Amino acid sequence: MRPLHAGGEYIHGLRFSVKMGTAEGSRRHACGGNPNRLAAWCIYVLVALALPVSADEANEHVLVADPYLELHTAPGRGYPIFDIAERGERVEILKRHTDWFKVRTARGKEGWVSRVQMEATLTEAGERKTFRDVLFDDYLARRMEFGFSFGTFNRDPLLSVYTGYRVHDNFLVELTIAQSAGDFSSTSLYYASLVSQPFPDLRWSPFVALGWGRFTNTPKSTLVSANQTKGDLANATIGLRYYVTRQFFLRIEAKQHVLLVNYDKTNPYTELSAGAAFFF
Amino acid sequence: MKNPSISYFLILTLSLIAPTTTKAQSVESIPEPVIPAQLDRRQVHIPKISATDIEVGAFAGILSVQDFGANPSFGIRLGYHVTEDYFVEGTYGHSTVSDQSFRRLGIAIFSKEEIDLTYYNLSIGYNLFPGEVFVGKDWAMTSAVYLVGGVGNVNFNSENHTAFDFGIGIRVLPVDWVAMRFEMRDHMFSSDLLGKNELKHNFEMTLGVGAYF
Repeated sequence: MRPLHAGGEYIHGLRFSVKMGTAEGSRRHACGGNPNRLAAWCIYVLVALALPVSADEANEHVLVADPYLELHTAPGRGYPIFDIAERGERVEILKRHTDWFKVRTARGKEGWVSRVQMEATLTEAGERKTFRDVLFDDYLARRMEFGFSFGTFNRDPLLSVYTGYRVHDNFLVELTIAQSAGDFSSTSLYYASLVSQPFPDLRWSPFVALGWGRFTNTPKSTLVSANQTKGDLANATIGLRYYVTRQFFLRIEAKQHVLLVNYDKTNPYTELSAGAAFFF
Repeated sequence: MKNPSISYFLILTLSLIAPTTTKAQSVESIPEPVIPAQLDRRQVHIPKISATDIEVGAFAGILSVQDFGANPSFGIRLGYHVTEDYFVEGTYGHSTVSDQSFRRLGIAIFSKEEIDLTYYNLSIGYNLFPGEVFVGKDWAMTSAVYLVGGVGNVNFNSENHTAFDFGIGIRVLPVDWVAMRFEMRDHMFSSDLLGKNELKHNFEMTLGVGAYF
Protein backbone atom coordinates (compact mmCIF):
# COMPACT_ATOMS: atom_id res chain seq x y z
CA MET A 1 0.00 0.00 0.00
CA ARG A 2 1.33 3.43 -0.92
CA PRO A 3 2.10 5.65 2.05
CA LEU A 4 -0.32 8.51 2.66
CA HIS A 5 2.23 11.21 2.04
CA ALA A 6 2.46 10.14 -1.60
CA GLY A 7 0.19 13.06 -2.51
CA GLY A 8 2.89 15.51 -1.46
CA GLU A 9 5.43 13.71 -3.59
CA TYR A 10 3.15 14.11 -6.55
CA ILE A 11 3.22 17.89 -6.21
CA HIS A 12 6.95 17.76 -5.84
CA GLY A 13 7.21 15.64 -8.95
CA LEU A 14 5.07 18.07 -10.90
CA ARG A 15 7.17 21.05 -9.91
CA PHE A 16 10.28 19.13 -10.79
CA SER A 17 8.94 18.25 -14.22
CA VAL A 18 7.90 21.82 -15.03
CA LYS A 19 11.46 22.94 -14.38
CA MET A 20 12.71 20.18 -16.64
CA GLY A 21 10.25 21.30 -19.30
CA THR A 22 11.64 24.82 -19.44
CA ALA A 23 15.21 23.62 -19.39
CA GLU A 24 14.59 21.43 -22.39
CA GLY A 25 12.47 24.07 -24.11
CA SER A 26 14.87 24.33 -27.03
CA ARG A 27 13.79 20.89 -28.21
CA ARG A 28 10.19 21.95 -28.46
CA HIS A 29 10.23 23.06 -32.06
CA ALA A 30 11.36 19.66 -33.23
CA CYS A 31 7.90 18.22 -32.59
CA GLY A 32 6.04 20.91 -34.61
CA GLY A 33 2.27 21.70 -34.38
CA ASN A 34 0.50 23.84 -31.75
CA PRO A 35 3.17 24.88 -29.22
CA ASN A 36 0.68 25.18 -26.32
CA ARG A 37 -0.74 21.73 -26.77
CA LEU A 38 2.74 20.44 -27.36
CA ALA A 39 3.98 22.02 -24.13
CA ALA A 40 1.07 20.43 -22.29
CA TRP A 41 1.98 17.06 -23.79
CA CYS A 42 5.65 17.51 -22.92
CA ILE A 43 4.70 18.36 -19.32
CA TYR A 44 2.40 15.36 -19.20
CA VAL A 45 5.11 13.03 -20.44
CA LEU A 46 7.67 14.54 -18.08
CA VAL A 47 5.30 14.23 -15.13
CA ALA A 48 4.81 10.60 -16.00
CA LEU A 49 8.59 10.17 -16.16
CA ALA A 50 9.22 12.19 -13.02
CA LEU A 51 6.65 10.35 -10.88
CA PRO A 52 8.67 7.19 -10.29
CA VAL A 53 11.72 9.36 -9.49
CA SER A 54 9.79 11.31 -6.85
CA ALA A 55 8.41 8.06 -5.44
CA ASP A 56 12.01 6.83 -5.00
CA GLU A 57 12.79 9.75 -2.74
CA ALA A 58 10.16 8.53 -0.29
CA ASN A 59 11.74 5.09 -0.09
CA GLU A 60 14.13 3.96 2.59
CA HIS A 61 17.81 3.68 1.64
CA VAL A 62 20.39 1.56 3.42
CA LEU A 63 24.13 0.91 3.11
CA VAL A 64 25.32 -2.65 2.74
CA ALA A 65 27.54 -3.63 5.70
CA ASP A 66 28.00 -7.35 5.02
CA PRO A 67 30.46 -8.39 2.28
CA TYR A 68 27.46 -8.58 -0.04
CA LEU A 69 23.66 -8.85 -0.24
CA GLU A 70 22.16 -11.64 -2.28
CA LEU A 71 19.37 -10.73 -4.66
CA HIS A 72 16.84 -13.50 -5.23
CA THR A 73 14.39 -13.52 -8.14
CA ALA A 74 11.36 -13.89 -5.83
CA PRO A 75 10.56 -13.71 -2.09
CA GLY A 76 11.49 -17.24 -1.00
CA ARG A 77 14.56 -19.13 0.17
CA GLY A 78 14.66 -21.44 -2.84
CA TYR A 79 14.56 -18.85 -5.60
CA PRO A 80 17.81 -18.38 -7.53
CA ILE A 81 20.30 -15.63 -6.65
CA PHE A 82 20.87 -13.62 -9.82
CA ASP A 83 22.87 -10.65 -8.56
CA ILE A 84 24.53 -9.11 -5.51
CA ALA A 85 25.03 -5.69 -3.91
CA GLU A 86 28.52 -5.13 -2.53
CA ARG A 87 29.66 -3.70 0.82
CA GLY A 88 29.24 0.07 0.95
CA GLU A 89 26.71 0.11 -1.84
CA ARG A 90 23.58 2.15 -1.31
CA VAL A 91 20.41 0.16 -1.96
CA GLU A 92 16.86 1.35 -2.03
CA ILE A 93 14.10 -0.64 -0.33
CA LEU A 94 11.03 -0.78 -2.55
CA LYS A 95 8.72 -2.96 -0.48
CA ARG A 96 8.42 -5.88 1.87
CA HIS A 97 6.59 -9.18 1.53
CA THR A 98 6.64 -11.34 4.69
CA ASP A 99 10.35 -11.54 5.66
CA TRP A 100 11.66 -10.48 2.26
CA PHE A 101 12.60 -7.01 1.04
CA LYS A 102 12.53 -5.96 -2.58
CA VAL A 103 15.54 -3.73 -3.18
CA ARG A 104 17.00 -1.79 -6.09
CA THR A 105 20.77 -1.59 -6.26
CA ALA A 106 22.79 1.42 -7.42
CA ARG A 107 23.12 -0.36 -10.78
CA GLY A 108 19.35 -0.56 -11.12
CA LYS A 109 18.92 -4.29 -10.48
CA GLU A 110 15.79 -5.24 -8.55
CA GLY A 111 15.63 -8.36 -6.42
CA TRP A 112 14.49 -9.83 -3.12
CA VAL A 113 16.74 -9.94 -0.04
CA SER A 114 15.98 -11.90 3.14
CA ARG A 115 15.44 -10.11 6.44
CA VAL A 116 18.45 -11.85 8.00
CA GLN A 117 20.77 -10.25 5.40
CA MET A 118 19.04 -6.89 5.61
CA GLU A 119 19.44 -6.67 9.38
CA ALA A 120 23.15 -5.90 9.21
CA THR A 121 22.76 -3.02 6.76
CA LEU A 122 23.14 0.55 8.04
CA THR A 123 20.41 3.14 7.88
CA GLU A 124 21.11 6.63 6.66
CA ALA A 125 19.03 8.34 9.33
CA GLY A 126 20.91 7.14 12.39
CA GLU A 127 24.57 6.73 11.41
CA ARG A 128 25.49 3.65 13.38
CA LYS A 129 21.97 2.35 13.60
CA THR A 130 21.48 -0.93 11.82
CA PHE A 131 18.39 -1.89 9.96
CA ARG A 132 17.90 -4.54 12.63
CA ASP A 133 17.15 -1.80 15.18
CA VAL A 134 14.72 -0.19 12.76
CA LEU A 135 12.89 -3.48 12.30
CA PHE A 136 12.80 -3.94 16.04
CA ASP A 137 11.23 -0.49 16.45
CA ASP A 138 8.68 -1.46 13.85
CA TYR A 139 7.98 -4.71 15.67
CA LEU A 140 7.48 -2.95 19.00
CA ALA A 141 5.12 -0.47 17.35
CA ARG A 142 2.72 -3.21 16.34
CA ARG A 143 -0.32 -3.15 18.55
CA MET A 144 -3.09 -4.77 16.54
CA GLU A 145 -3.67 -8.49 16.41
CA PHE A 146 -6.18 -10.72 14.71
CA GLY A 147 -7.05 -14.34 15.22
CA PHE A 148 -9.56 -17.11 15.08
CA SER A 149 -10.22 -20.22 17.06
CA PHE A 150 -12.29 -23.33 17.05
CA GLY A 151 -13.65 -25.26 20.00
CA THR A 152 -16.61 -26.58 21.90
CA PHE A 153 -19.46 -24.64 23.47
CA ASN A 154 -21.23 -27.08 25.79
CA ARG A 155 -20.27 -29.80 23.24
CA ASP A 156 -21.52 -27.85 20.22
CA PRO A 157 -18.84 -26.66 17.78
CA LEU A 158 -17.90 -22.99 18.14
CA LEU A 159 -15.99 -20.76 15.73
CA SER A 160 -14.63 -17.44 17.02
CA VAL A 161 -12.93 -14.51 15.34
CA TYR A 162 -11.32 -11.74 17.32
CA THR A 163 -9.35 -8.57 16.92
CA GLY A 164 -7.23 -7.18 19.72
CA TYR A 165 -5.50 -3.91 20.52
CA ARG A 166 -2.65 -3.71 23.02
CA VAL A 167 -3.35 -0.76 25.31
CA HIS A 168 -0.49 -1.50 27.72
CA ASP A 169 2.36 -4.02 27.98
CA ASN A 170 0.14 -6.23 30.11
CA PHE A 171 -3.32 -5.41 28.84
CA LEU A 172 -5.27 -5.91 25.65
CA VAL A 173 -8.78 -5.02 24.62
CA GLU A 174 -10.38 -7.63 22.41
CA LEU A 175 -13.57 -7.77 20.35
CA THR A 176 -14.87 -11.25 19.56
CA ILE A 177 -17.60 -12.59 17.31
CA ALA A 178 -18.44 -16.26 17.70
CA GLN A 179 -20.92 -18.63 16.17
CA SER A 180 -21.98 -22.07 17.28
CA ALA A 181 -24.09 -24.27 15.03
CA GLY A 182 -25.45 -27.07 17.20
CA ASP A 183 -27.82 -29.96 16.53
CA PHE A 184 -30.86 -28.09 17.84
CA SER A 185 -30.02 -24.41 17.58
CA SER A 186 -27.36 -21.95 16.49
CA THR A 187 -25.97 -19.32 18.82
CA SER A 188 -24.10 -16.14 17.92
CA LEU A 189 -22.09 -14.24 20.48
CA TYR A 190 -20.32 -10.95 20.35
CA TYR A 191 -18.44 -9.48 23.25
CA ALA A 192 -15.63 -7.16 24.29
CA SER A 193 -13.04 -8.32 26.78
CA LEU A 194 -10.20 -6.97 28.81
CA VAL A 195 -7.24 -9.33 28.74
CA SER A 196 -4.48 -9.33 31.31
CA GLN A 197 -1.20 -10.90 30.26
CA PRO A 198 1.05 -10.86 33.34
CA PHE A 199 4.17 -12.20 31.56
CA PRO A 200 4.06 -10.81 28.01
CA ASP A 201 7.74 -11.62 27.35
CA LEU A 202 7.45 -15.37 27.84
CA ARG A 203 7.20 -17.66 24.88
CA TRP A 204 4.46 -19.60 26.69
CA SER A 205 2.49 -16.68 28.05
CA PRO A 206 -0.61 -17.18 30.23
CA PHE A 207 -3.54 -14.77 30.24
CA VAL A 208 -6.84 -14.16 31.98
CA ALA A 209 -9.77 -12.15 30.65
CA LEU A 210 -13.21 -10.83 31.47
CA GLY A 211 -15.79 -10.09 28.83
CA TRP A 212 -19.25 -8.65 28.39
CA GLY A 213 -21.53 -8.72 25.37
CA ARG A 214 -24.68 -10.03 23.71
CA PHE A 215 -25.91 -13.40 22.46
CA THR A 216 -28.63 -14.56 20.06
CA ASN A 217 -29.93 -18.11 20.07
CA THR A 218 -31.96 -19.31 17.09
CA PRO A 219 -33.49 -22.81 17.22
CA LYS A 220 -33.49 -24.90 14.05
CA SER A 221 -36.41 -24.09 11.79
CA THR A 222 -37.40 -27.76 11.66
CA LEU A 223 -38.22 -27.72 15.38
CA VAL A 224 -41.63 -26.62 16.66
CA SER A 225 -42.05 -23.66 19.06
CA ALA A 226 -38.85 -22.14 17.74
CA ASN A 227 -38.41 -18.80 19.50
CA GLN A 228 -35.32 -16.68 19.15
CA THR A 229 -33.70 -15.70 22.46
CA LYS A 230 -31.52 -12.62 22.89
CA GLY A 231 -29.74 -11.27 25.92
CA ASP A 232 -26.55 -10.18 27.65
CA LEU A 233 -23.65 -12.44 28.33
CA ALA A 234 -20.58 -12.29 30.53
CA ASN A 235 -17.53 -14.50 30.51
CA ALA A 236 -14.26 -15.22 32.27
CA THR A 237 -11.27 -16.81 30.59
CA ILE A 238 -7.96 -18.43 31.39
CA GLY A 239 -5.63 -19.27 28.55
CA LEU A 240 -2.15 -19.70 27.20
CA ARG A 241 -0.38 -18.20 24.19
CA TYR A 242 2.53 -19.80 22.42
CA TYR A 243 4.59 -17.56 20.13
CA VAL A 244 5.54 -19.61 17.07
CA THR A 245 7.31 -16.83 15.14
CA ARG A 246 7.76 -13.09 15.61
CA GLN A 247 4.26 -12.41 14.29
CA PHE A 248 2.38 -15.63 14.68
CA PHE A 249 1.09 -17.33 17.81
CA LEU A 250 -1.23 -20.11 18.92
CA ARG A 251 -3.62 -19.85 21.82
CA ILE A 252 -5.67 -22.27 23.87
CA GLU A 253 -8.29 -21.13 26.31
CA ALA A 254 -11.05 -22.20 28.67
CA LYS A 255 -13.92 -19.78 28.97
CA GLN A 256 -16.91 -19.79 31.27
CA HIS A 257 -19.85 -17.99 29.67
CA VAL A 258 -22.96 -16.95 31.54
CA LEU A 259 -25.91 -16.11 29.30
CA LEU A 260 -28.30 -13.81 31.15
CA VAL A 261 -31.60 -15.04 29.67
CA ASN A 262 -33.84 -13.04 32.00
CA TYR A 263 -34.03 -11.88 35.65
CA ASP A 264 -34.61 -15.36 36.97
CA LYS A 265 -32.53 -17.45 34.63
CA THR A 266 -28.87 -17.61 33.67
CA ASN A 267 -27.45 -20.34 31.47
CA PRO A 268 -23.82 -21.36 32.00
CA TYR A 269 -21.78 -22.52 29.03
CA THR A 270 -18.22 -23.79 29.02
CA GLU A 271 -16.04 -23.09 26.02
CA LEU A 272 -12.77 -24.89 25.29
CA SER A 273 -11.01 -23.68 22.19
CA ALA A 274 -7.73 -23.50 20.36
CA GLY A 275 -6.73 -21.10 17.62
CA ALA A 276 -4.13 -19.07 15.80
CA ALA A 277 -3.48 -15.35 15.68
CA PHE A 278 -0.96 -12.83 14.35
CA PHE A 279 0.18 -9.24 14.85
CA PHE A 280 0.12 -6.62 12.17
CA MET B 1 -26.78 -9.78 45.30
CA LYS B 2 -29.02 -12.72 44.51
CA ASN B 3 -27.24 -13.91 41.47
CA PRO B 4 -24.23 -16.11 42.27
CA SER B 5 -22.74 -15.65 38.81
CA ILE B 6 -22.42 -11.87 39.25
CA SER B 7 -20.53 -12.24 42.50
CA TYR B 8 -18.35 -14.79 40.73
CA PHE B 9 -17.44 -12.16 38.16
CA LEU B 10 -16.80 -9.51 40.77
CA ILE B 11 -14.34 -11.77 42.53
CA LEU B 12 -12.59 -12.46 39.25
CA THR B 13 -12.44 -8.75 38.42
CA LEU B 14 -10.84 -8.03 41.76
CA SER B 15 -8.35 -10.83 41.35
CA LEU B 16 -7.41 -9.40 37.94
CA ILE B 17 -6.89 -5.88 39.23
CA ALA B 18 -5.02 -6.91 42.38
CA PRO B 19 -1.63 -7.84 40.80
CA THR B 20 -1.41 -4.58 38.84
CA THR B 21 -2.08 -2.34 41.83
CA THR B 22 0.65 -3.99 43.88
CA LYS B 23 3.03 -3.49 40.97
CA ALA B 24 2.14 0.21 40.79
CA GLN B 25 2.86 0.64 44.52
CA SER B 26 6.24 -1.02 44.29
CA VAL B 27 7.21 1.34 41.44
CA GLU B 28 6.27 4.40 43.52
CA SER B 29 8.29 3.25 46.53
CA ILE B 30 11.64 3.28 44.66
CA PRO B 31 13.71 6.23 46.00
CA GLU B 32 15.05 8.85 43.59
CA PRO B 33 18.61 8.07 42.42
CA VAL B 34 21.37 10.26 43.85
CA ILE B 35 23.18 10.53 40.55
CA PRO B 36 20.73 10.87 37.67
CA ALA B 37 21.57 8.41 34.92
CA GLN B 38 22.56 10.06 31.67
CA LEU B 39 21.14 7.86 29.00
CA ASP B 40 20.73 8.53 25.33
CA ARG B 41 17.10 8.31 24.51
CA ARG B 42 16.44 5.58 22.00
CA GLN B 43 15.66 7.20 18.68
CA VAL B 44 12.62 5.44 17.36
CA HIS B 45 12.53 5.44 13.61
CA ILE B 46 9.72 3.58 11.91
CA PRO B 47 10.81 2.69 8.39
CA LYS B 48 8.68 3.82 5.49
CA ILE B 49 8.53 0.47 3.77
CA SER B 50 5.26 -0.53 2.22
CA ALA B 51 4.36 -4.04 3.25
CA THR B 52 2.51 -6.27 0.81
CA ASP B 53 1.32 -8.98 3.17
CA ILE B 54 -2.42 -8.50 2.74
CA GLU B 55 -4.13 -10.15 -0.18
CA VAL B 56 -7.58 -9.10 -1.37
CA GLY B 57 -9.26 -11.09 -4.09
CA ALA B 58 -12.35 -12.54 -5.68
CA PHE B 59 -13.10 -15.96 -7.08
CA ALA B 60 -15.72 -17.77 -9.13
CA GLY B 61 -16.33 -21.42 -9.84
CA ILE B 62 -18.61 -24.35 -9.30
CA LEU B 63 -19.83 -25.69 -5.96
CA SER B 64 -21.25 -29.19 -5.84
CA VAL B 65 -23.53 -29.73 -2.83
CA GLN B 66 -23.91 -33.40 -1.99
CA ASP B 67 -27.37 -34.76 -2.98
CA PHE B 68 -28.30 -31.48 -4.71
CA GLY B 69 -26.12 -31.08 -7.81
CA ALA B 70 -23.64 -28.40 -8.80
CA ASN B 71 -24.21 -24.68 -9.19
CA PRO B 72 -22.05 -21.63 -9.96
CA SER B 73 -20.44 -20.01 -6.94
CA PHE B 74 -18.52 -16.80 -6.37
CA GLY B 75 -16.95 -15.06 -3.43
CA ILE B 76 -14.35 -12.78 -1.96
CA ARG B 77 -11.16 -13.56 -0.15
CA LEU B 78 -9.02 -11.68 2.37
CA GLY B 79 -5.66 -13.14 3.22
CA TYR B 80 -2.59 -12.30 5.24
CA HIS B 81 0.83 -13.74 4.46
CA VAL B 82 2.47 -14.30 7.83
CA THR B 83 5.73 -15.87 6.64
CA GLU B 84 6.94 -17.13 3.28
CA ASP B 85 5.48 -20.54 4.23
CA TYR B 86 2.26 -19.76 6.08
CA PHE B 87 -0.76 -17.61 5.35
CA VAL B 88 -4.17 -17.18 6.88
CA GLU B 89 -7.26 -16.29 4.94
CA GLY B 90 -10.97 -15.77 5.25
CA THR B 91 -13.38 -16.37 2.42
CA TYR B 92 -17.01 -15.55 1.95
CA GLY B 93 -18.89 -17.29 -0.83
CA HIS B 94 -22.32 -17.43 -2.35
CA SER B 95 -24.02 -20.13 -4.39
CA THR B 96 -27.43 -21.70 -4.84
CA VAL B 97 -28.85 -25.14 -4.06
CA SER B 98 -31.59 -26.72 -6.12
CA ASP B 99 -33.92 -29.62 -5.22
CA GLN B 100 -35.05 -29.96 -8.85
CA SER B 101 -34.18 -33.66 -9.08
CA PHE B 102 -36.26 -34.39 -5.95
CA ARG B 103 -39.17 -32.36 -7.26
CA ARG B 104 -39.17 -34.46 -10.43
CA LEU B 105 -40.00 -37.42 -8.18
CA GLY B 106 -42.67 -35.39 -6.42
CA ILE B 107 -40.72 -34.59 -3.23
CA ALA B 108 -40.00 -30.96 -2.34
CA ILE B 109 -37.15 -30.51 0.12
CA PHE B 110 -36.95 -26.71 0.16
CA SER B 111 -39.68 -24.08 0.19
CA LYS B 112 -38.79 -23.17 -3.40
CA GLU B 113 -36.87 -24.90 -6.13
CA GLU B 114 -33.66 -22.93 -5.87
CA ILE B 115 -32.46 -21.42 -2.60
CA ASP B 116 -29.41 -19.38 -1.64
CA LEU B 117 -26.35 -20.84 0.03
CA THR B 118 -23.73 -18.68 1.73
CA TYR B 119 -20.61 -19.79 3.47
CA TYR B 120 -17.60 -18.32 5.21
CA ASN B 121 -14.49 -19.91 6.53
CA LEU B 122 -11.20 -19.08 8.16
CA SER B 123 -8.24 -21.16 7.13
CA ILE B 124 -4.52 -21.59 7.52
CA GLY B 125 -2.55 -22.21 4.37
CA TYR B 126 0.86 -23.70 3.80
CA ASN B 127 2.91 -23.11 0.65
CA LEU B 128 3.91 -26.69 0.02
CA PHE B 129 5.84 -26.40 -3.24
CA PRO B 130 7.02 -22.87 -4.02
CA GLY B 131 8.46 -22.54 -7.49
CA GLU B 132 8.30 -20.88 -10.83
CA VAL B 133 6.12 -21.30 -13.90
CA PHE B 134 7.76 -20.61 -17.25
CA VAL B 135 5.85 -19.08 -20.11
CA GLY B 136 7.96 -19.12 -23.25
CA LYS B 137 11.65 -18.31 -23.04
CA ASP B 138 11.63 -14.94 -21.28
CA TRP B 139 8.88 -14.99 -18.71
CA ALA B 140 9.11 -16.74 -15.33
CA MET B 141 6.23 -16.34 -12.91
CA THR B 142 6.49 -17.05 -9.18
CA SER B 143 4.15 -19.85 -8.16
CA ALA B 144 3.25 -22.10 -5.26
CA VAL B 145 1.23 -25.23 -4.75
CA TYR B 146 -0.46 -24.76 -1.39
CA LEU B 147 -2.59 -26.67 1.08
CA VAL B 148 -5.34 -24.91 2.94
CA GLY B 149 -7.60 -26.05 5.78
CA GLY B 150 -9.90 -24.46 8.28
CA VAL B 151 -13.30 -24.09 9.80
CA GLY B 152 -16.35 -22.10 8.91
CA ASN B 153 -20.05 -22.02 8.50
CA VAL B 154 -22.38 -22.99 5.68
CA ASN B 155 -25.88 -21.54 5.68
CA PHE B 156 -28.72 -22.75 3.50
CA ASN B 157 -32.39 -23.55 4.07
CA SER B 158 -32.24 -21.18 7.13
CA GLU B 159 -29.81 -23.47 8.91
CA ASN B 160 -26.21 -23.00 9.98
CA HIS B 161 -23.81 -25.89 9.62
CA THR B 162 -20.32 -25.80 11.09
CA ALA B 163 -18.09 -26.80 8.21
CA PHE B 164 -14.52 -27.98 7.94
CA ASP B 165 -12.78 -27.21 4.72
CA PHE B 166 -9.69 -28.66 3.16
CA GLY B 167 -8.21 -27.87 -0.19
CA ILE B 168 -5.27 -27.71 -2.52
CA GLY B 169 -4.48 -25.01 -5.00
CA ILE B 170 -1.91 -23.39 -7.20
CA ARG B 171 -1.08 -19.70 -7.08
CA VAL B 172 0.73 -17.96 -9.93
CA LEU B 173 1.98 -14.37 -9.78
CA PRO B 174 2.34 -12.73 -13.23
CA VAL B 175 3.75 -9.63 -11.48
CA ASP B 176 4.77 -9.50 -7.83
CA TRP B 177 1.53 -7.92 -6.61
CA VAL B 178 -1.06 -9.92 -8.58
CA ALA B 179 -1.94 -13.50 -7.67
CA MET B 180 -4.01 -15.84 -9.80
CA ARG B 181 -5.29 -19.05 -8.27
CA PHE B 182 -6.83 -22.32 -9.22
CA GLU B 183 -8.20 -24.16 -6.21
CA MET B 184 -10.11 -27.30 -5.21
CA ARG B 185 -11.77 -27.38 -1.82
CA ASP B 186 -13.97 -29.76 0.09
CA HIS B 187 -16.46 -28.15 2.48
CA MET B 188 -17.53 -30.86 4.93
CA PHE B 189 -20.49 -30.57 7.28
CA SER B 190 -23.02 -32.92 8.81
CA SER B 191 -26.65 -32.54 7.87
CA ASP B 192 -29.88 -34.36 8.70
CA LEU B 193 -31.84 -32.77 5.87
CA LEU B 194 -32.58 -36.11 4.17
CA GLY B 195 -33.60 -37.92 7.36
CA LYS B 196 -30.23 -39.21 8.53
CA ASN B 197 -27.43 -37.20 10.09
CA GLU B 198 -24.31 -37.78 8.02
CA LEU B 199 -21.16 -35.99 6.89
CA LYS B 200 -21.63 -34.33 3.51
CA HIS B 201 -18.77 -33.59 1.13
CA ASN B 202 -19.21 -30.51 -1.00
CA PHE B 203 -16.50 -29.93 -3.55
CA GLU B 204 -15.78 -26.54 -4.98
CA MET B 205 -13.51 -25.68 -7.88
CA THR B 206 -12.63 -22.01 -8.31
CA LEU B 207 -10.52 -19.61 -10.31
CA GLY B 208 -9.51 -16.47 -8.49
CA VAL B 209 -7.52 -13.30 -8.83
CA GLY B 210 -6.14 -11.14 -6.04
CA ALA B 211 -3.84 -8.24 -5.34
CA TYR B 212 -1.22 -7.82 -2.61
CA PHE B 213 -1.39 -4.66 -0.54
